[in-house]
Amino acid sequence: MIRRKVYLKTVLWVFVGILATVTGARFLRGLGATTGLTDATPWGLWIAFDVMSGVALAAGGFVVAGLVYIFGRKEYQPFARPAILTAFLGYLAVAIGLLYDLGIPLNIWHPVIYPQPHSVLFEVGMCVILYLTVLFLEFFPVILEHSWFNRPVFRAVHTLLKKFAIPLVIVGIVLSTLHQSSLGSLFLIAPYRVHPLWYSPMIWVLFFVSAIGLGLMTVTAESFFSSWYFGHKLRVDLLSGFGKAASAVLFFYVGLRLADLAVRGNLSMALDGTWQSNIFLLEICLALLPAVLLLFRKLRGSSPGLFICAFMTLLSMIGYRFNVSVVAFSRPEGMSYFPTLIEIVVTLGIISSATLLYIFAVEHFPVCSPEESAAEQEISEQPVYPYTPGAMHSLLPESMAGLRRYSLAALLGASVAFAFLSEDVRSGALLLRTPVSPARIVESLAQPDTSGPGTVNSVPYPYSISSESTSIYVIDGNQNGRLVLFDHDHHAKKVGGDSRCGLCHHQNLPFHQNTSCYRCHEDMYISTDIFNHSSHVARIGGNEACEECHSDREAVKSRATAKACSECHTESRTTDPIIVVSAEEKQGWAVGYMDAMHNLCIKCHEREVQRDPVNFHRSFGECAICHRDFDLSLLRELEPYKSISSRM
Amino acid sequence: MNVKGILTDTTLCTGCERCVEACKEENDLGKDLPRRWKSQIDDLSSTRYTTIVRKDGDHFVRRFCRHCQEPACVSACIVGALQKTAEGPVIYDSDKCIGCRYCMMACPYGIPRYDWEKTTPFVKKCTMCYPRLQEGREPACVEACPEKATIFGTREELLSIAHQRIAENPGRYLQTVVGETEIGGTSILYISDIRLDFLAFKPDLGDDPLPQLTWAALSKVPPIVVGMGGLMAGIYWIVNRRMTIAEQEDSTSKREAGEES
Repeated sequence: MIRRKVYLKTVLWVFVGILATVTGARFLRGLGATTGLTDATPWGLWIAFDVMSGVALAAGGFVVAGLVYIFGRKEYQPFARPAILTAFLGYLAVAIGLLYDLGIPLNIWHPVIYPQPHSVLFEVGMCVILYLTVLFLEFFPVILEHSWFNRPVFRAVHTLLKKFAIPLVIVGIVLSTLHQSSLGSLFLIAPYRVHPLWYSPMIWVLFFVSAIGLGLMTVTAESFFSSWYFGHKLRVDLLSGFGKAASAVLFFYVGLRLADLAVRGNLSMALDGTWQSNIFLLEICLALLPAVLLLFRKLRGSSPGLFICAFMTLLSMIGYRFNVSVVAFSRPEGMSYFPTLIEIVVTLGIISSATLLYIFAVEHFPVCSPEESAAEQEISEQPVYPYTPGAMHSLLPESMAGLRRYSLAALLGASVAFAFLSEDVRSGALLLRTPVSPARIVESLAQPDTSGPGTVNSVPYPYSISSESTSIYVIDGNQNGRLVLFDHDHHAKKVGGDSRCGLCHHQNLPFHQNTSCYRCHEDMYISTDIFNHSSHVARIGGNEACEECHSDREAVKSRATAKACSECHTESRTTDPIIVVSAEEKQGWAVGYMDAMHNLCIKCHEREVQRDPVNFHRSFGECAICHRDFDLSLLRELEPYKSISSRM
Repeated sequence: MNVKGILTDTTLCTGCERCVEACKEENDLGKDLPRRWKSQIDDLSSTRYTTIVRKDGDHFVRRFCRHCQEPACVSACIVGALQKTAEGPVIYDSDKCIGCRYCMMACPYGIPRYDWEKTTPFVKKCTMCYPRLQEGREPACVEACPEKATIFGTREELLSIAHQRIAENPGRYLQTVVGETEIGGTSILYISDIRLDFLAFKPDLGDDPLPQLTWAALSKVPPIVVGMGGLMAGIYWIVNRRMTIAEQEDSTSKREAGEES
C-alpha cells in the first residue's frame, strides 16, 4: 500500500517536472514552436482534452451535489465531497490549460471588462469563472474543518458558508447546465466544418445529457481510484445506483443522437464506411454497450462490471468531445494535425498536478467520510521513510525522505524534458528549408521567326530567337514543377557575349569563373550565410588577427561592425554587375534564390521596356513573360531532341 | 446605406499580384517565409492578407476577407476585438484580443490567420484598408490593380455594376454575383466565369447569416437560468418538506410510543 503510494506520487512528480520545462518552452517560444497547431487547425489537444473533456469530467460535481442536497438522497453523501473536490480541481485544470492555449494568456481576464454577450465563448468564459468560485465556496468549509483553522473567525466563516450550502448547490447546478451545454453551442457557428454526423442544431442538449452520464461514471471511476490508492472501501452497493442512473441517461443520450440524425436525414452516413462513420460507430457503441450492461443488476453490482462500464463511458464521452472539436472538424486538404509531444506532456502534467492536489486534499482534509479517514490514519501513521542523514544508501528508494525523493523526481523530469526539446524550441528557428536544385540544361532546337515570337521544340517561346540550336536552362529551384525556361546563349549574346558574363555572375567563388546562382543562393526563400568565420580566422592568423576585419576596437565585434567581404575579396566581385548588393549582403548573406532571380531578371526586363517601348511590349516586364506555367510534360517533349542536337 | 465594398471581376484578372504587393506594402507585412503552418507559401498567412488562387485554364481568383454583412467571426469574438464597422470593413483590435482563435474556427471562408511564430501573436486579416477608407482613399489593392479587375465603391453601386456586366455579357459570366446573398451577403463581391465554391469550406453556405445559429442557443440562457434554478429550488423545497414531515411523524410516533409504555 505504502509502496504503491510512493511510486504513483513519484511518477506524478516526474510529469510535474516535465511540465515545468515545457511551460518555459511554451511561453518563451510561442505556440508555433511548441504545438502542432496551424491556421487550418486553430484548436487542438489542449482545447479538446484540457478544456472540453476537463469540464465534462468535472460534471460529477453538480450531478452528485444535486442528488444529495436537492433530491435528498442522503445515502450518496460519502460521494459528495470527493465529487466536489474533483470538480473544483477539474475546473482549475481547465483554467490552467486555457492559459497554455490562449495566444495572449495575460489578457485572460478581458472578457470581464469587454463583455460580448453574442459570443458563446463569452458564456463559456463567464461560467468557468463563476462556477470555479462556486466550487471553491462549496469546498472551502472542508478545508476550514482542519485543525489548523480552529479559530473563531474561521468557524464563523464555516457556519456562514454552511448556511448558504443549498443556494450554492443550486447556483452550481444552473451554471453547470449552462456551461456543459454551451461547450456544445460553441460549434453551432461552424455547420460547414463540423462533420454532419456530429453537427446538430441541438448539439448543446446532447452535450448536457452526455455530461450527466459522464458525471455519474466519473464519480464511479474516482471511487475505484480511491479504493486502489487510499484503500477506501469500495461502496459497490451505492455505486450500482449510479450505474442504474447512468444506464438510463446513456440510453437517452444515444437515442437522442440517433433520432436527431434520423430526423435530419443523415443517419445513413453512419454506415457509409468512411473513417468518420467508423469512429462515429465506435463512439456510439462505447456509449451503448455500458448502457446495456448496466441494466443487469449482477453486472452493475460487481466491481469489474462497473469498472469496465465506467471506462467505456469515459472513452465515449471524451471521444465525442475530441471528435467535435478536432477530429471531425474539417480542414483544407493536405493540412493534418497531430499534437506535438509538448502538447501531450502539458496535458499529462496538468492531470498529474491535479491528481497530486487531490491526494494532498484527501490526506489533509476531511474529504472522505470519518470511518474511511480513520482507516487512512491508521495506515499513514506507520513510519513511511526511516531517514538517516548521511547514510550510504540514502539514494535508494526506501531510504529517501518524501520531499527529497519527489523533488529529485521532478528535477529528473525537468532535465529529461529539457534534453528532448526539439530544435524548434531551443533555437526558436521555425523556418523550413527549401534547398535549391540547380537548373537543368536541355539542348534544344529553336525555330527563328522574324515576324514574332519563335518556338523551341515547337513550344512557343517568349521572344524572337535567332540561333538554330540553343541550350535551354530549365529553372525550377524548389522542384514544384512550375518551370521557367531560360535561354542562356541568347541572353549572353544580347548583353555582349563572353566578355560580359560578370553582368549577371556578379560574384564568384575564389578561383572560379561564372559561379552558378544556386551555389550561394542555396535556399529558395531564406537568406543563406555564405561567410565562414572559423575558416577566415584560421587563414588570417587566429585570435591575434581579429582586428584585420573588426578594425574598430571599441565597437562590439559583430557582422555589422566588421569589414565588408568585398573590401578584401576584390578579385571575386566582377567590375560591372547589374546587381546592386545590399548592405546585408556585403556582410556575407546571400538572399533567397527567388529574390535573387527576380532582382536580376525583372530589373533588366523593365529597363528594356523603358528604353525601347517599340520592340519591347509592356508585358515584357511582367511576371508571365517568364512564368508561363510550363509543366513537366514539356520536359518530356523536349527529351527526344537531346540526341539530335549537339552543340557546336 | 453607405456600406463600402470591393467587386472583383475574375475574367479581367491576369494574376500579376500587384494587389498582393500593394497590400504587403500598405500593411507592412514583410516577406513570406516557409513555415510549418504555411504548406503553400503563396496561401493566405499572417504575412499575406490577399492572394491569387490559380485555377486551371488561366483563371485567377483573388482571395481575401469577405467582410460579411453579419460576420461569424465578430459574433464569435469573446471580447469584441473584431468589429463590423458601419462602412463595411471588419476590423480587429489587438489590445482586446485574448488569443482564443474562436474567430478562426468560426469563419466559413478560413480567412483569419495567426502569428504562430510570435510569443505575443495576433489575428491577421484584411481590414479593407480601413485607415485609408477613413481618409477617403480606396484600398491599396484596388489602387494597384492595373486591369481594373478589382474595383471599390459602395456595395449597392457595385451590385448594380455587377448585374449590368452580367446582363451585357451573359456568355462571359456565370449568372450570379457571388456574395450578394450568401450567408446574409458579403461586402466583397465577385463575378466570374468559373464557380468560386473553393473560396469557402462548403460549396453552398446558404443565405442565412451564421450568427443566427448560435443566437438560437444563446437566447435560451435566461429561460434556462430561471427554469433550472426554479426547478431545483422547487424540488429541494418539496423533498425537504417531505423529510421534515417524515421526521415529525417519526418523532411524534416515538413520543406516542414513549407515552404508551
